[in-house]
Amino acid sequence: MSTEIKRGDTVLAAKGITKRYPGLVANDHIDFEIKAGEIHAILGENGAGKTTLMKILFGLVQPDEGEIYVFGRKVNFKSPLDAIDLGIGMVHQNRKLISAHSVIENILLGHPSAGGILNLKRAAEEITALCERYGYKVDLQAKVWHLSEGEKQMVEILKALYRGAKILILDEPTSALAPPETEKLLASIQIMTGDELAIVPFITHKLPIVLTVSHRVTVLRRGKVISRINTADATEQSLAKEMVGREVIFRLERVEDVEKGKPILQVENLSAFNDKGFLDLKGVSFSVHEGEIFGIAGVSGNGQQVLAEALAGLRKAASGKILVDGIDITNSTSLQRWQNGVGYIPAEQRAVGSIGDFSLVENMLMNYYFEDGFSKWGIVDTRKIRNLTEELIAEYGVATPNADVRAKGLSGGNLQKLILARVLSRMPRLLIVNLPTQGLDVGATEFVQNKLLEAKKARAGVLLISEDLDEILSLSDRIAPIYEGGFMGMIPGKSAERETVGAMMAGLQQKATVI
Amino acid sequence: MKLGSYEVKLEKKVNFTGWQATVISILAILFALFLVGFIFLQAGVDPLLGYKEIFSYAFVNAFGLPLTINRAIFLLLCTFAFIVPMRAGLWNIGMAGQLYAGALGAFAVAFAFGAKGALTSDLSAGLVIPAMIAGAAVSGMMVGAIPGLLKGRFNTNEIVVTMMINFIAFWLVSHMIKEGGPFMGSGGEGEGFKLPESIQPPLYQGIPFTIWIALGLSVLLYFVFAKTKIGYQIRAFGLNPSAARYAGISPFKISLLVFIIGGIIAGLAGYHYFATVPGVYKITKNYGDFGDLAFYGIICGLISQGNPLTAIPLALLFGGLTNGGRFVQGKLQLGFGIDYALLGVLMIILVAFQFFFRYRIVWKKMEKEK
Repeated sequence: MSTEIKRGDTVLAAKGITKRYPGLVANDHIDFEIKAGEIHAILGENGAGKTTLMKILFGLVQPDEGEIYVFGRKVNFKSPLDAIDLGIGMVHQNRKLISAHSVIENILLGHPSAGGILNLKRAAEEITALCERYGYKVDLQAKVWHLSEGEKQMVEILKALYRGAKILILDEPTSALAPPETEKLLASIQIMTGDELAIVPFITHKLPIVLTVSHRVTVLRRGKVISRINTADATEQSLAKEMVGREVIFRLERVEDVEKGKPILQVENLSAFNDKGFLDLKGVSFSVHEGEIFGIAGVSGNGQQVLAEALAGLRKAASGKILVDGIDITNSTSLQRWQNGVGYIPAEQRAVGSIGDFSLVENMLMNYYFEDGFSKWGIVDTRKIRNLTEELIAEYGVATPNADVRAKGLSGGNLQKLILARVLSRMPRLLIVNLPTQGLDVGATEFVQNKLLEAKKARAGVLLISEDLDEILSLSDRIAPIYEGGFMGMIPGKSAERETVGAMMAGLQQKATVI
Repeated sequence: MKLGSYEVKLEKKVNFTGWQATVISILAILFALFLVGFIFLQAGVDPLLGYKEIFSYAFVNAFGLPLTINRAIFLLLCTFAFIVPMRAGLWNIGMAGQLYAGALGAFAVAFAFGAKGALTSDLSAGLVIPAMIAGAAVSGMMVGAIPGLLKGRFNTNEIVVTMMINFIAFWLVSHMIKEGGPFMGSGGEGEGFKLPESIQPPLYQGIPFTIWIALGLSVLLYFVFAKTKIGYQIRAFGLNPSAARYAGISPFKISLLVFIIGGIIAGLAGYHYFATVPGVYKITKNYGDFGDLAFYGIICGLISQGNPLTAIPLALLFGGLTNGGRFVQGKLQLGFGIDYALLGVLMIILVAFQFFFRYRIVWKKMEKEK
């Protein structure tokens, strides 16, 4: 860019952006602008039109109506390449890195200077300078698959900056980050605004983050701009209300009066390998009791996924023992575990928890086809499973025209409700839930968390795996932060401190087991 | 894309009805016939006359129609052998090998009953025919079970395994029926021994009873996939193996099961063609051609999108066209290979038209630029 950018100049302006999809107006005359040195957050629930707007600003989707101005000039993006050339960078929520390549190779990929012979040395010096400026520490020669989520995000940001981005679009920037990593990210963003960069984070939840760093917030609901507020004038409550359209209770009522019964799940020194053949879970021992929520707090990739799969029978235990109601199930199949009262809600709703091309009825059958009452002579009792599905859709408020639509058409929140309904309706003795509210909006999150509390009241043992500290703190009776495949300790939920748990999740602090 | 003052866009269809699919398929067939018309023109034959000859021989002629139907039965069985694993997301490219095994199994049973070289011997049809069917089914099953086992146990690529087994089975047949092989025919012309008349199954209008096996299977398979527990598990595994595993469905059992079923049905196809079709009744010298023909089962399976009922008209069409195409080639003295050209073009167009199952083209008059 030849033009000099001064603080306070409008760098990006979108006027009257409208995008229609069949049966849906995703963006309805959205106006949006951002100035140099500003953090302007875009807040909205799933389906509010955030993703569409983001894609339009980055040139992935062309609007039906409306104009975009970059540095005062009208632009017409045909592809992201046009946007990148004008200084717009995007950091996706799903990382777009090549995991077998090194950090520097990933940063250089697609860079104009990488067309011919690479000047790796000079590039490395320049990137190192960028790192120092923003307080990033990353080994440029490391392979990407070795990196943590936070480091990968750092690489994506560096990639955009090295490409010359002046406007940085961040998609859910703090999801999948450990609390210390989040703080580092926020600090670096603030340095960037000092350098006259404009930052646009898109956020569905984690409202406190919006409040701490951003200058202005634009709230979207059903494709329209509901309000545009200076963050200084907003509170967490007011933002949530704007976003959802009704009051939202933030503090979940802790449920304390459930009597803790005998142990349902006992895990002894359990270890398991991940798909790459590394020992991801290194000998954990714990138990979950009737009427208890046992929370495992951890950043993704610290072994909790492997633990959940080992407990659900989807992964072999390398060593150790799993007992449910005193019976050793270490070598039982997943089907046997379902039949013996284990219920599992996986983190991957679409890849594991449901079958997109199946109707909702057929999806419901996933946890019922093996039950005697649902088939006779090997023929499925279609009416029975349909009735059950319709009842549960009504009870759980799954928004769908009918029970015959394909599951892939449901939004994330609705799909999670359906999966929850399917598993909870079995009244499991032991409920394993992995990242139950990941990617859900405020309303759906509240619903899911209340259902977990109901399961606890019904005296199920609940194993809750989450990276959302607030969720862990407000739901769990005991908390075990997990780091690199082992528990960092075990602390009672009632008296757990945010900072302590956060530090333990990041492997910074170890605490002796208290309970 | 812009065309003149119109904007042309592709829109993804949310869902389509069976009726639409039928219309699209018929349009595809007409379009393919139109294209092949140019080949006729180039050979100096009126395309309309050519097609009239093909279709009247294949579907009307008293001599041609039974040939068409016999081919269609064979194709239909091969299609089912492909469809069953396909519904589980697995590719059975081994119908050829499985049907060779089926033929060998059937003739081994006949051999054991002393059928070789005893053309006039009076064997009990009620005993030997069911035994031959069982022999075909069991050998098809055993050959089918190999890729199923390897897939389920070691996650081996089933396409490679089934392909390789095709070669093994091909040469095994050769070994059995050619020079000095135990099933060698009396003429020594590189073909298998002929079945005695007593165990040549009865025909009705030139069609053996295997037509009931094929039609029965199409209804049965349709029902199994739509209504039963096992069909549900196969479909779940086919659409999303991880989700199926999550739901307690064993990948090992499903992989093995679908390949066993596929192998059995392909084995029956082998029995049908070599042991029941009038004028054959032996493993012919050109048995490899029928292995090649079996590959049309893949096409029928893909075009029917795994629906065993839709496969019936498709198998008839392909059976009729191979048959009529070969006939017209002789009658109108066309160059060699017109039947293959016709099938090839038809196949490509049918697959290409599947695009319209998923997308529709939208024409929109563009607004004037301001």
